[in-house]
Amino acid sequence: MNIPFIGEVPSDIVVAWIISILLGGFLFSWVTKAGKWQVIMKYAQTTHHRKIGVMYLLLAVVFFIRGGIDALFIRTQLAVPENDFWVFQSQKYNEVFTTHGTIMIFFVAMPLLIGLMNVALPLQIGANDLAFPYLNAVSFWLFAAGGVIFNMAFFFNAAPNAGWTMYTPLATDTFTTEPNNNYYILGVQVSGLGTIFTAINMIVTIIRLRAPGMKLSRMPLFSWSALITSVLILVAFPVLTIALLLLMFDRLYGTNFFMGEVGDPVYWQHLFWIFGHPEVYIIVLPAFGIFSDIISNFSTKRVYGYTSMVAALALIGLLGFMVWAHHMFTVGLGSMANTFFAITTMLIAVPTGIKVFNWLFTMRKGIVKIRTPMLFALGFIPTFVIGGVTGVMLAVAAADYQYHDSYFVVAHFHYTIIGGTILGSFAGIYYWFPKMTGKMLNEKLGKWHFWLFLIGFHLTFMPQHFAGLNGMPRRVYTYMWEDHIFLLNFVSTIGAFLMGASMLFFIWNIYYTCRFTGGAAADPWNGRTLEWTVGSPAPEHPFEPMPRIDSLDAYWYAKINKKQLPEAEDVRPSPIAVETFQPVLLAGVIGIMSIGFIYGWLWMQIVGAGASLAFFVIRSLTDERKRVYEREEEL
Amino acid sequence: MKKLLFLPVLLLLAGCNIRALHPASDTAATLTDLIYLSFGLMMLVFVVVMVLFIYYLRKFREKAYNVHHIPLDTRENKWFEITWTVLPIILLTILAVPTVQATYELTSSSAGNVDEAPQQAVEIQVTGKQFNWRFTYENGKQSMNELVLPVGQKASLRLQSEDVIHSFWVPRLAGKIDVFPGKVTRLSFVPNEKGTYQGKCAEFCGAEHTQMRFDTRVISEGEFQEWLKQE
Repeated sequence: MNIPFIGEVPSDIVVAWIISILLGGFLFSWVTKAGKWQVIMKYAQTTHHRKIGVMYLLLAVVFFIRGGIDALFIRTQLAVPENDFWVFQSQKYNEVFTTHGTIMIFFVAMPLLIGLMNVALPLQIGANDLAFPYLNAVSFWLFAAGGVIFNMAFFFNAAPNAGWTMYTPLATDTFTTEPNNNYYILGVQVSGLGTIFTAINMIVTIIRLRAPGMKLSRMPLFSWSALITSVLILVAFPVLTIALLLLMFDRLYGTNFFMGEVGDPVYWQHLFWIFGHPEVYIIVLPAFGIFSDIISNFSTKRVYGYTSMVAALALIGLLGFMVWAHHMFTVGLGSMANTFFAITTMLIAVPTGIKVFNWLFTMRKGIVKIRTPMLFALGFIPTFVIGGVTGVMLAVAAADYQYHDSYFVVAHFHYTIIGGTILGSFAGIYYWFPKMTGKMLNEKLGKWHFWLFLIGFHLTFMPQHFAGLNGMPRRVYTYMWEDHIFLLNFVSTIGAFLMGASMLFFIWNIYYTCRFTGGAAADPWNGRTLEWTVGSPAPEHPFEPMPRIDSLDAYWYAKINKKQLPEAEDVRPSPIAVETFQPVLLAGVIGIMSIGFIYGWLWMQIVGAGASLAFFVIRSLTDERKRVYEREEEL
Repeated sequence: MKKLLFLPVLLLLAGCNIRALHPASDTAATLTDLIYLSFGLMMLVFVVVMVLFIYYLRKFREKAYNVHHIPLDTRENKWFEITWTVLPIILLTILAVPTVQATYELTSSSAGNVDEAPQQAVEIQVTGKQFNWRFTYENGKQSMNELVLPVGQKASLRLQSEDVIHSFWVPRLAGKIDVFPGKVTRLSFVPNEKGTYQGKCAEFCGAEHTQMRFDTRVISEGEFQEWLKQE
């Protein structure tokens, strides 16, 4: 489409601009009319874990819609052979699947889980906030800045196009010269920094701020999974940081880490997957934690095999670092390497199997109450087991020469990521919604959401296994009649639209609930863990007085024995909340610096870097604890 | 459950000639056997889980009379836990043995020493380039996007890329092998059935990755020699 003063612009971008401007205008006038600016300003300054968690979730849902629309474009283009849907062929299609993958992993799966951790983790362990509230706000705003940078790319007709894996040398400036892939590097880098800070925050919170008496061995499984995930993040994300930095140097300053005489494109694959495979467990372990808590809660029974559940989490985390080269079986690393990584990969099935059987045995001899969160947990078990068994099939190194980079792999990882992370996040959102907003999501709409999503999901991804075996490679924008994969793809497309439709129920449910329903009780699910002892929504400083914990699910046992949780006296001081615009401004200037790097504008890099440094100085010179200590001394 | 019913239906829909499961070479046949073995073992696991899942769900679902009951906590049973730790290990061992065998057998022919020329094989240079394939035979004959092989004779490919990474894949003849710039990889197999087979680039390589396809024609020895001589 030819636009005056700008030139040739693909029509999808024009449409996106128009829709965004209309939507933005509508939102602006709505917020003004409803007098909500004050609320927005409050949230922009907050360091409170629940509010930050809610913002994470909101932004994740927004990005989920973006990534979901990408997915629908992909499925529409692939619905029939030799299709020419709108603009989505060649490079445009490559952009769509690149942004789909990147957004779903970094800007949907991660923030959904981190958001839920923010909301529920402090409440589960009896902490009044995360250990470093200011840092938590910085984490969130860095994530938001990364998301904005990455999503901007599309609007400026420069969406990344080398796949979410950014394989070199395709991703170097020799083969993709435009700024497109710089957007990927900087967007993911900035949000990755936020993730690392979150991990530190979670670890310290869990180590330092548990309620008196809550030993690690009495901690709910979601908190355990948050702890182990945070450790994985702390080890894996710096590898991504380094890999992106090297790629950035290759692209911007002409170094040759990943090509040429001394460099090697395979280095990138190693670095990327040393991060990338633990990342898979980073996004699935918290979901396991959510399911453990929910299945126990709605089976009215203590979780079966608590100790082995924790051990399995830790073992999966550890093994997760030893399997990265199973993404590289066809690289030709040699029989020894391929065998080693095949065996370690198969081994992961053992702790995962232990978890599945423990979940089943938690239900056994319990009373299984099927509410929406439990429904998602029940949908998860068969779905994830399918994803798990195809995972073992993929681990068979030689057979992987057939599966590799085909739709079989696409089906496999959607089964694990959607079956694990996304179903887990939905379950968590339905479960903890009262703690976030003080309201209960509608059960009937929740069931519609669940069934449509689950049926749509299996329709979409089950056929892709067979399309892959029939020779359909990943990342192709079309196929031919003689490939004999038309029906499989057509069914897949129908399924994708069902999933899309199910999301309308979800969004309507949230709107309807927030608009038309009244307050929820503190303990609407007859829960077992500490978050259900505090009000809905969770107040600031919820644990005053602080309870003393003497067993796993202490609240539950107190409840059925008709007792109160005893009060603790030796309480650690709570983290100190502040109200400040600094985190959002810091993320803003880092964003500006990133744009400078993306387009190679030196002045902008300097301005952004200088301003960021100024924030570091300011922060080094402030200590909000001081005034609290002074007040305490006066007393 | 719906998804269980689904599986066979889809299998029928997809037709009974899924390429990766209809090998036309020794290498591909090994892979097909492995795929079936792993699928069978894994279906066993899946069925066990599903049976327990459905049974427990029906049996322990909340009923009108027990809404307000509180079930007793069950203690962990050591033997159960040992069972579901040891049984998967046994299953995986059954799977691991042929995996290791096949991996050693096939990988040595794909990543082995380049100089060690195999006997009695048709040697072909494969060059991947955005977005086509070039095949060069020993006598200097070149063909674009069409690989011609004699039936029953070992084909030995040396692959290299001129730009980005590609991946060579003919599902009915062999698994994939990546094709790199500045490095040679190898792949060999013995086609044992005449016919024309689809080949594709399986590593995303840029704008027209989708179009980077080629045909593999397996013909008789005599026809092959004829073809080699043609200009």
